[in-house]
Amino acid sequence: MRLKHVLALVGAAAISVALAVPAAAQDKTVKIGAVFPLSGGAASAGVHAKFAIETAIDIINNAHPELGNLPLAKNAGLAGLGGAKVEVVFADNQGSPATGQNQALRLITEDKVVALTGAYQSGITLTASAIAEKYGIPFVNGESVAANLTERGFKWFFRVTPVAADFARIYSDFLKDMKAAGAKTDNVALVHDNTEYGTSVASVITSVFKDNGASISQDIAYAVNATDVQSQVLQLKEKKPDVVIMIAYASDAILYQKTMQALDYKPPMMIADDSGYSDPSFIKAVGKISQGVFNRSSWSVGAPGSPSAIIAEMYKKRSGDELDDTAARQMQGFFVLCDAIDRAGSTDPAKIQAALKATDLKPDQLIMGYKGIKFDDKGQNILASGLMIQLQDGENYVAVWPKTNAEKAPEMPYKGW
Amino acid sequence: MDKSLMRRLLWPSVALALVIAYPLLFSTPFQQRLGALVLLYAIVASAWNIVGGYAGQVSVGHVVFFGCGAYAAMGAYAHFAWSPLVGIPVGIVVSVAIAAVIGVPTLRLSGHYFSMATIAVAELVRLIVSNTDYLGAGVGLSGPTVPRNVFDLSFISALPYYYLFLTVLVVTLGITWWMADSRMGFYLRAIRDSERAARSLGAPASRVKLYAFMLSAGLTSVAGTLYATMFGFVDPDSGLGILISVKMLIMAALGGAGLLFGPLVGAAILVPLEEISNNLLGGKGAGLTFVMYGAIIVLIARFQPGGILTLIKRLSDKRGGRSEKADATGATHAP
Repeated sequence: MRLKHVLALVGAAAISVALAVPAAAQDKTVKIGAVFPLSGGAASAGVHAKFAIETAIDIINNAHPELGNLPLAKNAGLAGLGGAKVEVVFADNQGSPATGQNQALRLITEDKVVALTGAYQSGITLTASAIAEKYGIPFVNGESVAANLTERGFKWFFRVTPVAADFARIYSDFLKDMKAAGAKTDNVALVHDNTEYGTSVASVITSVFKDNGASISQDIAYAVNATDVQSQVLQLKEKKPDVVIMIAYASDAILYQKTMQALDYKPPMMIADDSGYSDPSFIKAVGKISQGVFNRSSWSVGAPGSPSAIIAEMYKKRSGDELDDTAARQMQGFFVLCDAIDRAGSTDPAKIQAALKATDLKPDQLIMGYKGIKFDDKGQNILASGLMIQLQDGENYVAVWPKTNAEKAPEMPYKGW
Repeated sequence: MDKSLMRRLLWPSVALALVIAYPLLFSTPFQQRLGALVLLYAIVASAWNIVGGYAGQVSVGHVVFFGCGAYAAMGAYAHFAWSPLVGIPVGIVVSVAIAAVIGVPTLRLSGHYFSMATIAVAELVRLIVSNTDYLGAGVGLSGPTVPRNVFDLSFISALPYYYLFLTVLVVTLGITWWMADSRMGFYLRAIRDSERAARSLGAPASRVKLYAFMLSAGLTSVAGTLYATMFGFVDPDSGLGILISVKMLIMAALGGAGLLFGPLVGAAILVPLEEISNNLLGGKGAGLTFVMYGAIIVLIARFQPGGILTLIKRLSDKRGGRSEKADATGATHAP
């Protein structure tokens, strides 16, 4: 009889433990909302962002001691919250600022997320973060570059990525160095589309160059999704600038490279502003006739076996594509947010906000080539920076500038095909 | 009170009571916002209905007027730090003027040619705005994110928006009802059925169409101001994109173009459908939302081109066994 009682007691205890453990573990998930363009014209970027964040979740929720100093990688889950797992609720902004805001509201009020990330297009990041601000929910952005996002006096908005002015300064410094090395860089031409991205980056480059005593001698704007760019290329051919800076999305970038080959035009130096020239489809389609084009990036795969190379491999397994600069910046933004939640040791929005403000990550704790991560009063990362890469063999970009990050020396002049 | 009048007033009063009580019955922030969005789109589609439904002139460029209101509101804030509400009068003046300027030549065109001309105008305006720095070019203009006072209409809850939009919708429907019952309404329906016949009977077709176009433009502009105020942002795609024109048309056609409550019914079906399907399917990233949206539109166009209200009316007439004469807001096929 007694044994029976003991057994029953032990059994009951075992059952209650068995029941209690999963329940407790379920309580310990931290929900984060992610608003991205999963359909519509920018769906490719949104889907790749989703892959990037899923890769990051894998790294955070499972033990990855091979990733060195990267925060949250060593152990499974968030150590600051007793090993809690991170769960991300994805939402589709459909490329519309209104939908982005509706979805952000839904994530905050229905799914009870503790923080938000997204939303790729600057205009949608603007409206989605406005609702987060009203509800007092931290919003960490890893990729939107419009200058006004951090000029709104928001207290809950944090941006990790470098912005257009940072990149313009990189071009300016790079050209100064190239000039010192003997290249001609006096006549600079800008080619850009008429979208928000194209016009704003072009005007920032123009003003930064002006501040540095240089000038833009030719400014060529064209309608996005062009079907013919012969006249634009002929304008370049006639003026013969020393440097051409291309600001274009993928389909236009491909068309420009094909047209330049057809019209046999090679500028002595060509610099591309990320986006189209970094797109996997660009390299597949016209990489071989674009050899020697420079590009900016904050992402570089690094040596085999390095944390960034391992992450790139994990990402490729998941998505089937190489990790590009934009997806990597989104992943970095997500890591910054999770690191802050971990340090806050709480899912209370105000504590996460305080932890974000106290963020001070060093270069060896990042996957990106930033000098670190530290936010100013406006929520902008003041240590964001980038490097110059070059498509030397027509297949892979390699880091060429600044010297400290360079894998190879820059090759001059532009080779083309 | 006369029995038939009571019966006629019964359903609208029940509907109105439900609409007023909705935010109290469905009180989560997302449900309240969904309600506000239904009303907002109902305003837009009702405004379109005046020229697209009653007059039968299918404008696919109405987003121009929507954009006028939205840009007037955000411009007033961005350049002068005024309340976005200033956008209502400014937007009305600008959009009515634009309607007059583009209406005179384009309303002479008939059928598809009018639709094509309005698309062309809308795209032209979108491109011009995309390249005008004063209007934010491609970047767009944003409104007050942190409200300075109540006139900034920047609320956390959707409740104030809901009742504001409801008021504007009631006014819009009131104007439409009054217009439909006036001499102008009869002219418009005559023009829709056969412009040549209407002209030969002495209806001043050009003038009446232009008035309808201007009235519709002004109301659409008010909706644009309300939209921009709620979301606090407008850029060329969200304020002047052709998709918004198409939405107005589809909502009115789905509910019943040329019927007073048609656009409201259309909005009450399509807006929740779009939002909820996006909530359920959007996160998967398969773009299923638009597939479903498109499928429903195809089904409506194939099986019930007169809109849902026409269908309900026909069914209830059949059941009641009475063959009601086509009244003032009689059933017609969607354009």
